[in-house]
Amino acid sequence: MSARLPRAAPAPSVLALLAIGLSIGGCGGTGDDKDTPPRTPGSRGPAGLKVYRHAMDQAPTSLDPVQAANVYANFVVLNAYDTLFAYKYLARPFELKTNLAADWPEISADGLTYTIRIKPGVRFIDDPAFADGVGREVVAEDFVYSIKRHFDPKTRPQGAWLWINRIVGLDEWKAAGSDYAAEIAGLRALDTHTIRIQLTKPYPQLLFTLAMGFSAVVPREAVAYHGREFAVHPVGSGPFRLTSYDTSQVVFERNPRFRPEPVDIAFEGYDEAQHGFSGVAAIDGRSPPFLDRLEISFIAESSARWSSFTKGDEVQYTSIPNEHVDEVLATKQPVTLKPAFAEKYHFFAGVEAGFIFNAFNMDFPEFGYNDDPERERRNKALRCAINKAYSWEQRNESFYMGLGNIFPGIIVPVSPEFDPGLSRDSVTRDVAGARKLLADNGWTPENLPPLVYGANSSVSSRLIFEQFRAWMKEIGYPREKIILKRFATFGDISRAWKQSQLPYVSKGWGLDFPDAENTLQLFYGPNSSPGSNDANYRDPEYDRLYELSSTMLPSPERTAIYQRMNRMLIDDCVANTGLARTRIYLWHKNVIAIPDREIIGGFFLRYVDIVDASTGTVKGGAR
Amino acid sequence: MSAVAIPAVRRESLWSKAAWKLARDRTGMIALAFVLLYMLVAVGVTAGWWAADWSEVRGGKWEAMSAAHWFGTNLIGQDIFARAVYSTKTAFEVGLVVAVLATVIGAALGAVAGFFNGSWIDEVLLWLMGVLDSIPFYLFVAAIVFAMQDNPYAMHIAMISTFWTSVGRLIRGEVIKLRGLEYVEAAHAISVPEFVIIIRHILPNTTHILLVQATIMFVSAIKSEVILSFLGLGVKDGMSWGLMIAESSQEVMAGFFNNFLAASVLMFGLVMAFNMFSDALQDALDPRKVG
Repeated sequence: MSARLPRAAPAPSVLALLAIGLSIGGCGGTGDDKDTPPRTPGSRGPAGLKVYRHAMDQAPTSLDPVQAANVYANFVVLNAYDTLFAYKYLARPFELKTNLAADWPEISADGLTYTIRIKPGVRFIDDPAFADGVGREVVAEDFVYSIKRHFDPKTRPQGAWLWINRIVGLDEWKAAGSDYAAEIAGLRALDTHTIRIQLTKPYPQLLFTLAMGFSAVVPREAVAYHGREFAVHPVGSGPFRLTSYDTSQVVFERNPRFRPEPVDIAFEGYDEAQHGFSGVAAIDGRSPPFLDRLEISFIAESSARWSSFTKGDEVQYTSIPNEHVDEVLATKQPVTLKPAFAEKYHFFAGVEAGFIFNAFNMDFPEFGYNDDPERERRNKALRCAINKAYSWEQRNESFYMGLGNIFPGIIVPVSPEFDPGLSRDSVTRDVAGARKLLADNGWTPENLPPLVYGANSSVSSRLIFEQFRAWMKEIGYPREKIILKRFATFGDISRAWKQSQLPYVSKGWGLDFPDAENTLQLFYGPNSSPGSNDANYRDPEYDRLYELSSTMLPSPERTAIYQRMNRMLIDDCVANTGLARTRIYLWHKNVIAIPDREIIGGFFLRYVDIVDASTGTVKGGAR
Repeated sequence: MSAVAIPAVRRESLWSKAAWKLARDRTGMIALAFVLLYMLVAVGVTAGWWAADWSEVRGGKWEAMSAAHWFGTNLIGQDIFARAVYSTKTAFEVGLVVAVLATVIGAALGAVAGFFNGSWIDEVLLWLMGVLDSIPFYLFVAAIVFAMQDNPYAMHIAMISTFWTSVGRLIRGEVIKLRGLEYVEAAHAISVPEFVIIIRHILPNTTHILLVQATIMFVSAIKSEVILSFLGLGVKDGMSWGLMIAESSQEVMAGFFNNFLAASVLMFGLVMAFNMFSDALQDALDPRKVG
């Protein structure tokens, strides 16, 4: 059941502002603070407003969907904008569902043509960019315009890689000067509510890309009206509308005109045994969003976030910092909380949709490809020896409190194609084997090549390097030949990887969508630097298999190809991988949510609700 | 006539008086003994007598104090005692390099500025000192270190670039005083080159100032190195008390204090000892007190 709020009722946003004004006034001078709302993480203000306070470790640099290139931007953007598809709130493995799309697309038999209808009556928020300041209806042309922006260099787009060489005419449109008035054969609005996408070749991951913040739908007039300010002035049709944004915090209020769509909790993947504790069943049949106000603070220091969270000040939930894991957890396998924390907080533990790994840059002749076949053979032995000396177990214990999931290869545990039966030899430390491999291939401390190891300036990065260097010393690698090269920021070291300046890459990767293709492409030849293939691995057979699988729909045949590619990488010792971290989220018990943001990003925030502290029940009912 | 025995008069210089006074300053001597002990430790590290395994992983994570690991182990199982001892070498190396070079540069430029007081040379050098002094120290050091990221001596260069100005100002003032004395005017009168006058006749008379300033800068350099390393701007490849304290910033939240205590206690001991020795030296060399 759903119903719009009566027009005569004061808009929640007005109430929110009034409440804030009252609370500020209360702090101002009377000294009587009995009406000041309690500063609890999720709280009801004096007018019963539901305020949710959340913290992230970094601030997004832009709220423009074309620049939503990191998890922080994606997290925020998905609350202000709509995407055609989205992920089910609770279903694991991850499952897509329609969002702005009215139904699943009609796909031609050859898999090249997608016809997608969008929901009628969806409106952008009110903004001066529109006639009379009233948000207009979202139409198919808005989607076409939004994707075109990724191929317009003037917008400084970062998501074009998702659709390059995929959509008929799109790359040519860019080459011809990105003229928005020009039609694109493969990307058209058939009418106000119908989109037609024609692909150059089958692209099974297309719908995943249409659930990412990159594909969020923006109105053309708002981009034109706000100009560069559009990056900090989102105008979307999402569940929330922005009220303020700076480097320390972004604040949203409920979008009062967000389309009413009652939640079907069973459809969203609800499992009583798994999710019952959280109370999320209470949102069944009600239309999100349930919050009146959403505050996301950006707090870089984990200890500060933790302190803020435990004080109940402004952080809604957090991942437990490493240094507090022993204090908080009663057991790690399975994860349980100590009574003092279990009494106050709900928790959720899950494997991250991503992993951390190391890879050799094959363009360095000292470790990778070499004109001399004999040296190339010895290089492979050297890479394998280094991988054997690497101790994922120790790294897990030191930096991830022993909670990480070590696995062989680059198909991560949350991928549907993950093979739990794959041999773990490649992630099992074997110092004697490493030494033998070096000796058998003529490597001595004198002729081992210097290995420059890049690290940013954080303490953890430095210790990870020192640990690596100590392991290498155990197999006879002289300490002075493992050279630390420091970078001030992650951006600096990332640039060095992209420019192929380092022989050894140590990084993390978060899945953009739940398909192993997203990690296998990290070693696809044409993606070499400055693309995502930082290892510059170029194997004709691997590339052939990648291209073959890239047009295949999910099937046992495709999975077999993925797993074969995975084994090729392991056998070539090009990468030393990997570890998927366990995310442990805690949240206060007056909040109804499962705050898992893996892949889903900020999409879950529309489903968050606050328990009425006075009654212990959720108020509101159907809207 | 009978010969009259003339008692030998022992000529007492500023230096002999200062040495005599310093030797009787019990606090100063104890402090000096501590400094020499630290120096011995640093020499031993440099020679490879001890703490050679500071970078190796020899134990488990955050092991408690034991016979095998006197201060326990850190996050990745390295011996904290070995790292703390190794850091003594880093501290001495930074302190010595910075103190010596900053003192030499400060003495040279300060003497030139003072000797040519009122000329354009003095104006330029004063302007340079003013400019360098007007930049907030850590901001300036951070800028230089950032600009010279790959240079292992970036931190040293940054500190020397700023520390010499205080020596320079003091020496300039002293030289302005000295250059008006009769013996300098006499040197002028017999056409001794100005360069020789500065080097041979003026600078030696500022040695007591330089000595005290060098000890003060030594301590300042160590403290700055620790702070810069803590901030990630200091030691590039090696170990330092600052890096250990940076490591401990998260460990203390988990109730593990060994890294913090080992680095802090050793740093405190050296800085305190050197400060006390510096004070004693200053007292001993102060002409007003030496008499």
